[in-house]
Amino acid sequence: MIGRSDASSPQTYARGLEGLVAGDTRISDIDGRTGRLFYRGYSIADLVANSTFEAVSYLILQGEMPTAAQLEDWQNELRRWRRPPRAAFDALARVPRRAHPLAQYRTMLTVAACHTPEPENTTLDAQWRRPARILSWTSALAAAAIRHLDGRDAVEPIDDLGFAANFLYQTLGVVPPDDEIRAFEASLIVQAEHGLHAAAFAALVVISTGADLGSAVLAGMGALSGARHGGANQLAFEMMAGLENADQARTWARTALARGHRFPGFGHRVYRCPDPRVKALEAHAEGILGSHGLERRWEVYTALRDEIEAVLAPKGIYANVDSITGLLYHPMGLPVSAFPIPFCLAIQTGWMAHCLEYLPDGTMIEPGAVYVG
Amino acid sequence: MRYKYPVTTLPTLSPSFDWRAEKIDWPVTTEVGRGLSGVVATTTEVMWLDPASGSLTYRGVPVETLAAENSFEEIASLLMTGSMPESDLAGYSAFRSQLRSSRALPSDVIGLIRDLDPATHPTRLLRAGISALGCHELTVGDDLSGDRHWRDLRIVGQVAALVGEIAAHRAGRASPVFGPADSLAESVLIGLNAHRPDPADTRVLDLLWVLYAAHGLDAPTFTSMVVASCLADPYFNVVAGLSALRGPRQGGASEAVLDQLSALDQPSSAKDLVRRIIDSGRPIAGFGHRSYRMPDPRVAVLRRELAALADRRDRPDVFESARAIEVAAESTLSPREIHVNINFYAAPIFHLLGADAALGPCLFAVGRTAGLVALVREAIDTIRLVRPLSRYVGPPERALPRPESP
Repeated sequence: MIGRSDASSPQTYARGLEGLVAGDTRISDIDGRTGRLFYRGYSIADLVANSTFEAVSYLILQGEMPTAAQLEDWQNELRRWRRPPRAAFDALARVPRRAHPLAQYRTMLTVAACHTPEPENTTLDAQWRRPARILSWTSALAAAAIRHLDGRDAVEPIDDLGFAANFLYQTLGVVPPDDEIRAFEASLIVQAEHGLHAAAFAALVVISTGADLGSAVLAGMGALSGARHGGANQLAFEMMAGLENADQARTWARTALARGHRFPGFGHRVYRCPDPRVKALEAHAEGILGSHGLERRWEVYTALRDEIEAVLAPKGIYANVDSITGLLYHPMGLPVSAFPIPFCLAIQTGWMAHCLEYLPDGTMIEPGAVYVG
Repeated sequence: MRYKYPVTTLPTLSPSFDWRAEKIDWPVTTEVGRGLSGVVATTTEVMWLDPASGSLTYRGVPVETLAAENSFEEIASLLMTGSMPESDLAGYSAFRSQLRSSRALPSDVIGLIRDLDPATHPTRLLRAGISALGCHELTVGDDLSGDRHWRDLRIVGQVAALVGEIAAHRAGRASPVFGPADSLAESVLIGLNAHRPDPADTRVLDLLWVLYAAHGLDAPTFTSMVVASCLADPYFNVVAGLSALRGPRQGGASEAVLDQLSALDQPSSAKDLVRRIIDSGRPIAGFGHRSYRMPDPRVAVLRRELAALADRRDRPDVFESARAIEVAAESTLSPREIHVNINFYAAPIFHLLGADAALGPCLFAVGRTAGLVALVREAIDTIRLVRPLSRYVGPPERALPRPESP
């Protein structure tokens, strides 16, 4: 990974380390010109159509698709950790309900981190024992944090359900219809890894200090909480929710475009073309909105997308994944302020894979600052 | 046998680049090495670590001068506001009273800490406490654009308050009692020892925090900066920074130093101890820092302070042991440009001030938070989302095996 070679080499980059090649990775390949995203060589379209979140998380972490026996073991391991320590749930009672849902969830994770097995063991073996626990604990805690928004108590897991279905059950209190589980799972799969984005990079800096994997995930979450990152799906949905129908969307978009408005959920530092994650989710969103009688929301989305892309596509600005996930989560019954949470659950898979890839000979990451005083 | 020291001591800064400039014209070209050494991540007016001399200045003043003459609260103000207290007495007075009053922790936050096992690693308790405080301080929809400075200084006071509370919890005692006239150092020492501190001890803790307050883009500060670049709120930034604090290569280093000291039965066996450690291929704890190819000037200050403190405590053996290990290790390692670092003397000082080894990183955190929030605050107005690239070297495109058709 980053700077594996002892030799230094000259590089040219801009603010935000834009253009800097930080190192090598075998995890994902993002083609920002043709709009393709591959995990370990498999396209996300293929994975969404033919796989599950459990198998994809195994692939991202381990490098190969699991055999039937490996998948069985991994699913068992994930199920084994579905009951986080009680204290992490109790922490919710110690924080005001008006706090940001991600901040409440973060506090649950920091308390859970006080109850981890072998907390100070940061050998590579111990780090590899952590991903299953982190995925399953965070799923249960995220569900409880979302329910807490409406003052509802946490729900016990159902062991027979898969990762996506169980999260929805623990969040909503009912097992949703199959098409919703599949749509939600698709959103987890396409958001499970995305290269060295800011949150993954924050996680990598933390793991480079010799900290444990859970600490790295907490740093990633912090990055994701920001409006420029994970918060964008909420902002994009709120923008669309204010528009009654396609005509209004078109009129508003034209005015906003004329003003040079920046649209949440549009434009991406890597993709200068249609975002492949959007393509993989659009059919799911249209289907679910339709089955809930919310066709108008779909029409608002496509009208807005077409208006904005008609003007901004020459600048490389297209709808990104944050424009579409809210359209899936809203009809399922997830509260708007909780939209960043499923993204968080999915993408931490990639953060952990980057950390584990970096660990064997990772040097502490410590760039410099130019003194202008 | 050629001994390969297991600590990276590459220079952090690329030598062919001007790291002291009027301004910077992006994009830049630098030599990039392991761990992104040599990469320019930001510009700063807060602090400067001169790669040629190893001297550290805050806002242009050498840190040794500041440590001798100023309290930590004054230096926190200097780092965060840019002005020395004497140039703005009213401003400093307001800063200090806000800093001190932010130590009042909500009972729910104290309860959350007290519900946790006192044996939990204190850095984990500190992180949980700061996270919970963030929930009490900020509400969904708070506009953070105007009041960041005030938020930042509250966080420094809150870290100090939590460290005092955690120290008391760890020792099985009730919450420390202190008033608005007590400095941050005094209140933390009350948490550590349950009695009013000797003024000389307060001065030592202030001095340690001043020396530790800022040190470039160390991992906690850089982590916070990356998180801040996504426009996260200050508590997310600091929780992420604290997550990078405990690693054995960061604040956790002080624990290794104390373990090493306690492995020495008498100063005269220091040579043997050092030889044994080096022969086994392990690093000497408290030696080596990749920013320094020369002795760190801060160490000279702390060496004197440990000698004086050990005398006051009637524990001259602590200083003698540390010094004996330093001398034994220097003779082997200094020819390789590996020198004693600040943790080597800070760890036994923390210990004599009443902190057990595990509390060391928390004490370090109080000082470092001041520099961290100052550097992040400074960067935030111009920062772009931090997103470097990686080069894909994995498997080429492939397809999932199709299920057999019936």
